[in-house]
Amino acid sequence: MADASTVAELVNISVDGRPVEVPPGTLVWDACEKAGIFVPVYCAHKKLEPVAVCRMCLVEVEGLPKLQPACATRVAPGMVVRTQTEQVRKFRDGNLEFLLLNHPLDCPVCDRGGECDLQDFTQRYGPGRARSSITEKVHFDKAVKLSDKIMLDQERCILCWRCVRYYEEITGEREIVLQERGVHTVVDSFERQPLQSQFQGNLPEICPVGALTHRQYRFRARPWDLRRTASVCSHCSYGCNIFVDAREEQIARYASNDNPEVDDSWLCDQGRYGFPELNRPERVINPEARVGGLRQAVSYQDAVARAAGALLRVRGDHGGTSVGVLGSPRMTNEEAFVLQWLAREVIATPHVDHRYEPLEGISPEQFRLGIAELEGCDAVVVIGDRPERLSPVLTLRLYKVANKLGRQILRVPETFSAAQVVKQLPAAGRIGIVAAQADRAAAMGLRAKAGSAGREAAVLTITEAVNSRGCQDLGLLPNVGPGYRSLEHSGLFGRQLLEAAVAGQIKALLVVGDGADFEAEGLFHEALAKVDVAVVVTAWQGVASRAATVLLPGRTIAEKAGTVTNTEGRVQRVRTAVEPKFTFPSDLRILGDLAAGLGSDLGVQALAAPVFELLAAAVPAYRGCQAGLRAHWEPGS
Amino acid sequence: MFREMVGGLRITLREMMTKPITIQYPEEQRPVPPRHRGRHILHRYDNGLEKCIGCELCAGACPVGCIYVQAAENDPQHPVSPGERYAVRYEINLMRCIYCGYCAEACPTEAITLGPRLDLADYKRERLVATKDDLLEAWPGFHPMAQGVAEGRGAPAPQTSPLGAGSSHQGPAGSAPGLRPPIPGSRGSGGGAAPI
Ligand code: SF4
Ligand code: SF4
Ligand code: SF4
Ligand code: SF4
Ligand code: FES
Repeated sequence: MADASTVAELVNISVDGRPVEVPPGTLVWDACEKAGIFVPVYCAHKKLEPVAVCRMCLVEVEGLPKLQPACATRVAPGMVVRTQTEQVRKFRDGNLEFLLLNHPLDCPVCDRGGECDLQDFTQRYGPGRARSSITEKVHFDKAVKLSDKIMLDQERCILCWRCVRYYEEITGEREIVLQERGVHTVVDSFERQPLQSQFQGNLPEICPVGALTHRQYRFRARPWDLRRTASVCSHCSYGCNIFVDAREEQIARYASNDNPEVDDSWLCDQGRYGFPELNRPERVINPEARVGGLRQAVSYQDAVARAAGALLRVRGDHGGTSVGVLGSPRMTNEEAFVLQWLAREVIATPHVDHRYEPLEGISPEQFRLGIAELEGCDAVVVIGDRPERLSPVLTLRLYKVANKLGRQILRVPETFSAAQVVKQLPAAGRIGIVAAQADRAAAMGLRAKAGSAGREAAVLTITEAVNSRGCQDLGLLPNVGPGYRSLEHSGLFGRQLLEAAVAGQIKALLVVGDGADFEAEGLFHEALAKVDVAVVVTAWQGVASRAATVLLPGRTIAEKAGTVTNTEGRVQRVRTAVEPKFTFPSDLRILGDLAAGLGSDLGVQALAAPVFELLAAAVPAYRGCQAGLRAHWEPGS
Repeated sequence: MFREMVGGLRITLREMMTKPITIQYPEEQRPVPPRHRGRHILHRYDNGLEKCIGCELCAGACPVGCIYVQAAENDPQHPVSPGERYAVRYEINLMRCIYCGYCAEACPTEAITLGPRLDLADYKRERLVATKDDLLEAWPGFHPMAQGVAEGRGAPAPQTSPLGAGSSHQGPAGSAPGLRPPIPGSRGSGGGAAPI
C-alpha cells in the first residue's frame, strides 16, 4: 500500500484514538504495539513474513467496509484504526469458537498449559461458553515423535503455518507440511520422516500452542514452577542470548532471548538441549586437601591457606617459573583477568594458558567483522565447514544473507587459492570472510588479497568455547598479555606446560575451571601425578579433582555471575541461574583469597572494586561494554 | 445466696444424670461430617489406575504453595494413569496446608479430595510432609504401582501407610510398621490393611 511513498517521512495514524508516528510501510500490528495497544495474533511472528491466515488480528480501519488483518496491512497516512469495537470483539469471539471446535482441550496434560496463546486469548477475548453441541471432535494423532527432540500433537495445532514458514524462511529445510483440506487439515513432518534439522528446538518456541513441544522438557515443569534468568548460551562462542529456566536449582530448559545482533531469536539444538551437562551430579562440593598423604575434607580457610602455602613453598624453592597456571575457556572475563594477573603478578610465572593446543599469531583484526554486519556484506566467503560446525546458528544468519537479502555466499574448502576466490567475488563492495580460528591465517591471507584487489574485506573468526574470545582478549595466554599486549618473556603453552611438568621442570600446577579441554588428554593425568603441588578449583569430579593436593569447589557457568565475550567481541552478562549445593565463595573470590594468601593486597582490591573496572582499565577496548556492546579495538592494535 | 446455690446445684445434678459427651479419644472416635476437609486422598479409578495426571493445577491453585508435583511420561505398557502424563512425585506439606480445598476444586480429574482424617499430629515435622504413598488410595489387587517393585520401592499392595491411605468414614486406617511407630493404644492397635 505504502510502496510508492518510499520517502523516509513518518506517517501519522491513530489507533483507538491514540496518535502514533511510524515509518511508511510499517504493519498496522507494529503500529498498534508502538501505540501500546495489544493485538492478539497467531500466525504473525516478528521474524516471519506476514501471511494473514488465522484472522485473529482483525481490526477496524476507517473507510474500509471489512475488518483488516493488522498483521498484514500496512499503514497509510491518516489511517484510523480501531481494535476494541463491537465488530472486532465479535470476530475474535467467533474465531476462538472455531479454533476450539475441534481442539482437544488437553490443557492439564499439555506442556504448553500456562504459557499457551490459545488459553490466554480464550481467557481474554473468548466468548466464555460453548454454543456448539458437537460432542464428537475430529481426531488426529497424538504424541507423535517427530524426532528425538520434538513431539507433535496434531489435534492441538491451530494451523497457523508458523512452523512451515519457519522451515521455509529461516532454515530453508522444509521438513514440516500442512496436509489435506478444511477440517481435515493436519500438520505433519514430510511423509512422517524424522526431522533432521539442527534447529528443531525453535519449533516449540514459535508454535503458539502445544502442538509442537520439546521432548527434553516433556512434563518437566509448569511455567509457574520456573525461575527465569537472562544469560548467555554456554555451548559455543557465538554468544546466543538465552533465558535459563530453572526448577529447584536444576536447569529445566533454555529458551531463546532475542538479540537481533547475535542470535536473531534462534538457537541451535546443540546449545538449547546441551544444558543437562550442567545438571550432572558429579560435583566437587567440599574443599579437600592432602594431609599427610591422605586426602580429607578441610575448611575453606584451611584449604586456601594450604594452597597458598604450598605454592609459596614451591616458588621459594624453585622460583616462580616452576609454577604453571591453567584456566578454562568457560571462565568469565573477570575470572580470566584475575587468573592471569594472579599468575603473572602474584606468583610471577609466565606459564599461563586456558587451552591445550597452542594459539599463536592472533590479533583483534581477525575478529573485525560483526555477526550482524554479515548482512551488510555484498558477498560472504565461508572457509570450510568448521565455522558452522562450531557455531551452528551461524548457518541461519548466512541463510538470511543469501535468501532474504540475496547476497552471494561462497563456501570454499579449507585449502583454497586466494586469487581464485577473489576472481569469483563481485567487482566492488564489502566482502565478509568467515573462518574458524584454526583457519585464521588463510582468512587473513584472503583478506589481504581481496584488499589489494580493491575490495573492502573484513574477517569474522569463530572461536571454540563460550569465552575463548574473552580469555584471548584478557591475556589468559602465555604469549600475549591483556589486550594482546606483547610480553617480554613468553611462557609455555598448555601442552608444553604439561610436558614440562612431566619432565619435572614444573613443580606446581594451579588449575582453575572445568578443565574440559585437558581432561581427555593423557598428558594432563601424567602431569598432575608428577607435580608436587596441584591446586585445583573445579566444579566437576574428574582427573584434576582426583589428583589435586588442594581441591576447592568451583561453580558451573550457570552458577556464576560475570561477563563473557562472544566471538565477535560482544561483552555479555551471564547471571546466576541456579545456586550451587554449597555456600563456599565463588571462583572469583577464591582467586582473590588465594592472591591474599600469596601475600598480594591486590587480592583485596580486586574484590573491593568491581573487577570489570579493573579489567577495563587494563584493556581499554572493554570500557563500558559490559551491557552487551562489542569491545572497540582500535584498528591495527 | 441460698437460692443461687440451689440453682447451681440443680444444674450440676441434672448434668450428672445425662450422658457425657466426652469420648475416650483416640480409642473412640466420632464420625466426621461427610464434607469434612481433612487430610487429602489421591483417588484411583476402578481399574486401579491413578486419577492424578500430574498436571500441577492443584499446586497452582494452592494459596499457600504446599503441594509439590513432579510429572513424568507414562510408559504405555505399564501406565500409572490414563493418558500420557502421571505424577511421579506428589507431596503435600500438611503443616502448611490450610485445608481450604482449592486443590480439590482445581483438579480436572477429581483425583484429589480432602478426606475425613483430622488426627494429624506427629513428633517429627518430616513426617507431616505427606508423600504419594501416604496419600494414594489403597489398591488391593494387581495394579500399575507394581512398577515400584521393580524399582525397589516395596510391595505394591496393599498400600497402607501411617498417614492412612484410603481413610474411610468407618474408622482410621492401619499403620504400616517401620514408617511411623503406632501411637500406643490407638487405632485398633497393630495396624493392618486399610479398609477400602
Ligand atoms: S495447546 Fe493450549 S489450549 Fe490446547 S491443550 Fe495445550 S495448553 Fe490447552
Ligand atoms: S504445529 Fe504449531 S506452529 Fe505449526 S501450524 Fe500448528 S499451531 Fe502453527
Ligand atoms: S487444601 Fe488448600 S492449602 Fe491445602 S493443599 Fe489444598 S489448596 Fe493447598
Ligand atoms: S491431583 Fe489433580 S490437579 Fe493435582 S496434579 Fe493430580 S490431576 Fe492435577
Ligand atoms: S495474526 Fe494476522 S491473520 Fe494471523
